[in-house]
Amino acid sequence: MTGVPPTAVGTGRRFGRRSRTREDAFDRPRFLKLYSGLVYLYLFIPIAVVVLFSFNSVKSLQSFQGFSTQWYSDFLNDPTLRESLFVSLRIAVITMVIATIIGTALAIGLVRARTRWSPAANILMLIPLVTPEIVAGVSALLIFSQLGIQLSFWTIVIAHITFSISYVTVVVRGRLASMGDEVEQAAMDLGATRFQAVRLVLLPELWPAIVAAGLLTFALSFDDFVLSFFTTGEDAQPLPVRIWSAIRFGVSPTINAIGTLMMVVSLTAVVAAVLLPRFFGRKESGIKVLTGQEGG
Amino acid sequence: MSDRAFWSRFLLPGGLWLLLLFAVPICLVLALSFGYTDDLGRAVYSNTLANYTDAFDPLYIPVLLRSIGYALATAVLCLLLGYPIAYYIARYGGRRKHLLIALLVIPFFVNYLVRTYAWVALLADEGLLNSALKDVGLIDTGIQFVNTPYAVIGGLVYGYLVFMILPIYASLERMDGALIEAGKDLFGKPSRVFLHVTLPQTKQGILAGCVLVFLPAVGDFVSAQLLGGPDTYMVGNLIQDQFFAASNWPFGSALTVVMMLFLSIWMLGYLRSAAREARDPVAAGGV
Repeated sequence: MTGVPPTAVGTGRRFGRRSRTREDAFDRPRFLKLYSGLVYLYLFIPIAVVVLFSFNSVKSLQSFQGFSTQWYSDFLNDPTLRESLFVSLRIAVITMVIATIIGTALAIGLVRARTRWSPAANILMLIPLVTPEIVAGVSALLIFSQLGIQLSFWTIVIAHITFSISYVTVVVRGRLASMGDEVEQAAMDLGATRFQAVRLVLLPELWPAIVAAGLLTFALSFDDFVLSFFTTGEDAQPLPVRIWSAIRFGVSPTINAIGTLMMVVSLTAVVAAVLLPRFFGRKESGIKVLTGQEGG
Repeated sequence: MSDRAFWSRFLLPGGLWLLLLFAVPICLVLALSFGYTDDLGRAVYSNTLANYTDAFDPLYIPVLLRSIGYALATAVLCLLLGYPIAYYIARYGGRRKHLLIALLVIPFFVNYLVRTYAWVALLADEGLLNSALKDVGLIDTGIQFVNTPYAVIGGLVYGYLVFMILPIYASLERMDGALIEAGKDLFGKPSRVFLHVTLPQTKQGILAGCVLVFLPAVGDFVSAQLLGGPDTYMVGNLIQDQFFAASNWPFGSALTVVMMLFLSIWMLGYLRSAAREARDPVAAGGV
């Protein structure tokens, strides 16, 4: 590639321009724009339907008759559904806190520690990400029954934490990998202990990723159905498990109302995950933190 | 305390948690797959292969093959839908890049059950789509969408599309745009530039996307349950049945193991590339 005279490059360009044919449509933004627009429509139409019909004044999912909030009051006045909402929220908060702490520590360990256990720990951390949820559900059910633990609120929490740790680790490690350890080293040269270096240097640097990972975990746990389905007992059923039994009795506008409310809760968490890093005085976007692109 | 000992402490809580609550339980599934249910319907650990011979019974083989087939179709459709949009955003998104990606991700934070349920409402025999088509006069009698393989695959595509788009988008973002310009000078035609430059450069993202879509799709039982019927049941439905309705845990465990074996090649491939990326993110990016 080296040594191509500038004139040759120029000829190539001109040649390319002259031979513009139908094939150019391949890389023409207009075609891609249309295609992408259609995909966006495909993604949003079902959701628009759910939201729209959650405000329908009649119990129909085919024609919209008028605006009403009766399905929302039905939902919030139903004691079992209201309880399920709080169960889901509590599970998501506890999962978020514990999984974020454990997952962050694991990320730090995986990047900074070089022991012979590191590769094994790395594989162990990655496997849950590629395991179908049903496998995790089945295995959680088996271990609880083997240990004689009755399915309850806490069995759901434990299953959720197990599945969330890896997400936190991947997000936090993405940021950690893009940072060197020079600042920590400098802090320690200046007299900080290793523990202080972690607390005062490493964690503040990682904070945006930790917050983003935590909120992502909250949203994943709040929306989870499969794991909860396998680990829910008689009491304390989270919302998705209730939705599952309700859907099988047919469609109902109350499900639309629940779905819309759940969407608001998860999206609040996700929007916060994207925006909060900025409040920490950083210019980079939370999306980059979440997709692990920054610095890479 | 040595430096190494200090840092390895961080590995301990997560490593132990995953070992005891993830690895050990999966071994339990393997162990129970050789068990049987006694007369009282309790699961007993044993060393029989009966569950595996049952799993490969002509009755169940179609279910296994169907699951693989649906999941493959899902991965291909996700690639066809996802690649162009990832390409558009990465190349032409400009300042709205982050907004466009955020818009893609939003639907996936609507509960999966609710999203699938939305498709049921749209596609049902008396659903929105059929009544709209009738109103316009395109059809007289309703078209049956629900209970067909197309509906189940459609539900899976809708459920997992984002897992295809994000890794491809990330690999396109990592790619140097100058390569495309250089490719234009070398090859001229945009289609050839795409085939010889862009596609090989984003191979890693495509593979990651396919694995991340294929794996959960094989184990999915929500789409087949809500949008399909007995003729479209997948292995996930079968497993779920064994643990709830049929209460035959050893057979359910054996089916889970068989499914995992089918998936292990894909899982290993993904783990290898992920491990490589963790060691050397730049080299794995292919630049």
